Amino acid sequence: MKRLNCAILALLMILGLSACGTSSQAGNNSGGQTLGQGRGVTLRILSGSENRELEEILNAFAQKENINIEMDYQGSLDIMRTLQGESVDYDAVWPASSLWLTAGDTQYRVKHAESISITPVIFGIRQSLAEELGFVGREVSVSDLLEAIQSGKLRFCMTSATQSNSGCSAYIGFLYALLGNPDVITAEDLQDPALGEKITALLSGVDRSSGSSDWLKDLFLMGGYDAMVNYECLIISANQELAARSEETLYAVYPYDGMFLADSPLGYVDNGDDEKEAAFLKLQAYLLSDEVQDQIQRTGRRTGYEGVAAENEDVFRSDWGIQPQRVLSPVRMPSTEVLMECLDLYQTEFRKPSLTVYCLDYSGSMEGEGRTQMVEAMSQILIQENARTNLLQASEHEVNLIIPFEGEPRNVYSATGNGTELESLYDTVASEEALGGTDIYAAAEEALRQLKRYDLSQYTPAIILMTDGVSDGSFSDFQRYYEACGLDVPIFSIMFGSADPTQLEDLAELSNARVFDGREDLVGAFRSVKGYN
Amino acid sequence: MGSKTKWIGFLILLAVIAVGGIYLLLGGGQSPVTLRGYVGGEKIGLLEDPEVQGILEREYHLTLDYAKAGSLDMVTADHTGRDFLFPSSQNALEYYQQVCGAPVKSEIIFNTPIVLYTHTPILEAFRDRGLVTEREGCYYMDMEGLVAEIEAGTTWAELGLPELYGTVAVNTTDPVRSNSGNMFAGLLANVLCGGVTDVEHVEEILPRLCSIFERLGYMEASSSDLFDQFLKTGMGAKPMIAAYENQLLEFAVENPEDWEQLKGDIVMIYPTPTVWSSHIYIAIDEAGAAGVDALLDEEVQRLAWEKHGFRTEVSGTDSDSGQFGVDHIAAAITQVAAMPSYAVMERVLEALS
Repeated sequence: MKRLNCAILALLMILGLSACGTSSQAGNNSGGQTLGQGRGVTLRILSGSENRELEEILNAFAQKENINIEMDYQGSLDIMRTLQGESVDYDAVWPASSLWLTAGDTQYRVKHAESISITPVIFGIRQSLAEELGFVGREVSVSDLLEAIQSGKLRFCMTSATQSNSGCSAYIGFLYALLGNPDVITAEDLQDPALGEKITALLSGVDRSSGSSDWLKDLFLMGGYDAMVNYECLIISANQELAARSEETLYAVYPYDGMFLADSPLGYVDNGDDEKEAAFLKLQAYLLSDEVQDQIQRTGRRTGYEGVAAENEDVFRSDWGIQPQRVLSPVRMPSTEVLMECLDLYQTEFRKPSLTVYCLDYSGSMEGEGRTQMVEAMSQILIQENARTNLLQASEHEVNLIIPFEGEPRNVYSATGNGTELESLYDTVASEEALGGTDIYAAAEEALRQLKRYDLSQYTPAIILMTDGVSDGSFSDFQRYYEACGLDVPIFSIMFGSADPTQLEDLAELSNARVFDGREDLVGAFRSVKGYN
Repeated sequence: MGSKTKWIGFLILLAVIAVGGIYLLLGGGQSPVTLRGYVGGEKIGLLEDPEVQGILEREYHLTLDYAKAGSLDMVTADHTGRDFLFPSSQNALEYYQQVCGAPVKSEIIFNTPIVLYTHTPILEAFRDRGLVTEREGCYYMDMEGLVAEIEAGTTWAELGLPELYGTVAVNTTDPVRSNSGNMFAGLLANVLCGGVTDVEHVEEILPRLCSIFERLGYMEASSSDLFDQFLKTGMGAKPMIAAYENQLLEFAVENPEDWEQLKGDIVMIYPTPTVWSSHIYIAIDEAGAAGVDALLDEEVQRLAWEKHGFRTEVSGTDSDSGQFGVDHIAAAITQVAAMPSYAVMERVLEALS
């Protein structure tokens, strides 16, 4: 009987996991996941999204040791900011690179940090395109890639440099190349106006942006894109999926003068609980054991001291351009100070300007707490002093539109740039009253109508739809309208109150976007979704 | 010395028996006192050693609870609820005295020299270049020659290592935050000056020193993290690092299987000259003072060398380094220069911050 229970439980876990893998729904920190049986000590781990692929391995440990593991996923830079906070509500952190641990742990709360695996940040380019560009079977420099991007032959997806380690790595690699490969980037280098022009032109080749590496892979798999910058391990897993579907796989390009490594350190956050510390050390020892290191290597990550084992070369496939025996020689990361300056410039000047339409639900049910929280959330984005703390500031040329809606869209308010116009949008948000019904489709349709008036190739466009109720109107009518528009615009939604997740997921699936759960932390959800463009 | 030690041992035994008897009379053991403090990362292996913990608990009724911090960072960190600091240099003590006044007690517990770690192909490249020489089974780096290559911007490819990107460099921890980097900065300052740098001469070489460190970009804050990454990220990421001698010795004892895989590739090179890192225990309150005697315990000192590679009074002869299984360990560290004075290092740090 007991055995049967276990089997059922295991089955439920597997179902739970696969549901999580395929669903576009996510919590405010890009989706939490609880592993384990609900008894025993619980370890709450704040992790980069690339570790989502290790859930099965973590779950085996959780089941065996009766230790629960709660995984919360955030970009590495968000993890850094969490560590810098007054208190850290986690037992462990697992960012993509130790850089963010060092920069974040200013209060010395992290101990026992050890690298679990290594993976480089590389380009994955559709095989035929890589061949056409002449990137197959030879050493490629960042300048080679830049040339292809600037001539319009190569467009790519990357994560936001200010939210995620992989995007940040790629961006810093670009800066090195554009500066003529100095030993290290200095603050003076960044003052060069020519650099600003070149990097802005380069980043205009970004098709889609994302707040996290794992979701970037998911987005890529939704189809229609040529290339992405991501971890070698995620390029491998994307290829496994593409190969399973008999679709064209990606060819791995390792830019020799602009590559970075992610060393995936798992560290304990010391809040003075001995039981948790013991559980953590057990987990870390498990992950570093020979057997599990081999399992992790089978997920496309480099582990151990001897490199990729011969029997795992079927994972690190050379016909995909993967080079398991390559000596990974990264460029130098600039000092933390210069790095932060680079990120600030990315956010405010260099990145492709975003064009965001916020559709905000002011139906009657939002009255009270809902409306208050939504206004607070928007203040985190629109008031630039607040936005700066999370590196979410607006850039000089970006456009923000607000469409307050109920049963129909009420009005359209817009602001260009990052000055007073933008902050006055906040006054609008704060003054709208909550009354009437709910129709998300009418609001989203109005948003698309507004977007048609812009040259979208100059922007990273997105619709951010926040709603708290079941919507009137018809999805299929909306779908027809969306498809007729022919715009590649994601409709991200933030679920609140008694919103219907299936209605929102339909929109996400239609537009290659995702749903954020704002029911527990609406402000956090707004911040996360904003990190996607 | 030997018989004296035996006598002390005997007395300790008597004391233990006596104390044990008193416990029994009182009807129970005394629970250990926990001392809390900041510790440089390279000493964590020692403090986590169950044998060491056992001795501290049994003989001294102490548990040491620590948070990891850089040797200089810990001086200015929040000391609320902390009993001790355990940094890795005399200079940290001087810094402490300047910031916080005289400590309750302080004592050097053990020493370890700064060394260079690299990979065999890189060692060979340096030997071909005439910068590394072998004497009595140990490798020595001509620091003046190395600094010249660094300053000239020689690329790894020019040394015959085309698989490595960029110019010759030694990765260290951030000299402003952590001791091993700080000591390496002192060592380089000496090399640039052609002798132990003093207040008069340091100004002349500061621009060159700053340029060497600036070109490193991001630096780790902790010696243990730097060493962990050196081992795990392979030859390409951190071709050569400056760290403590004890780090490799301890790693080899604690991870014999891993070391077996690595020993063909990883090598230790002694800089000529090098500097000593003195690991000094600073009690910042009365309770913390008890830690000094406990760490100077003869058994603890023996374990510090045999399992963790720290050179102590009981170690350092050529006959007793076999347990590490590490080749090329120097029997004695002879080519040592004094660190520049605290006043000089203060100036160096100011310039590097």
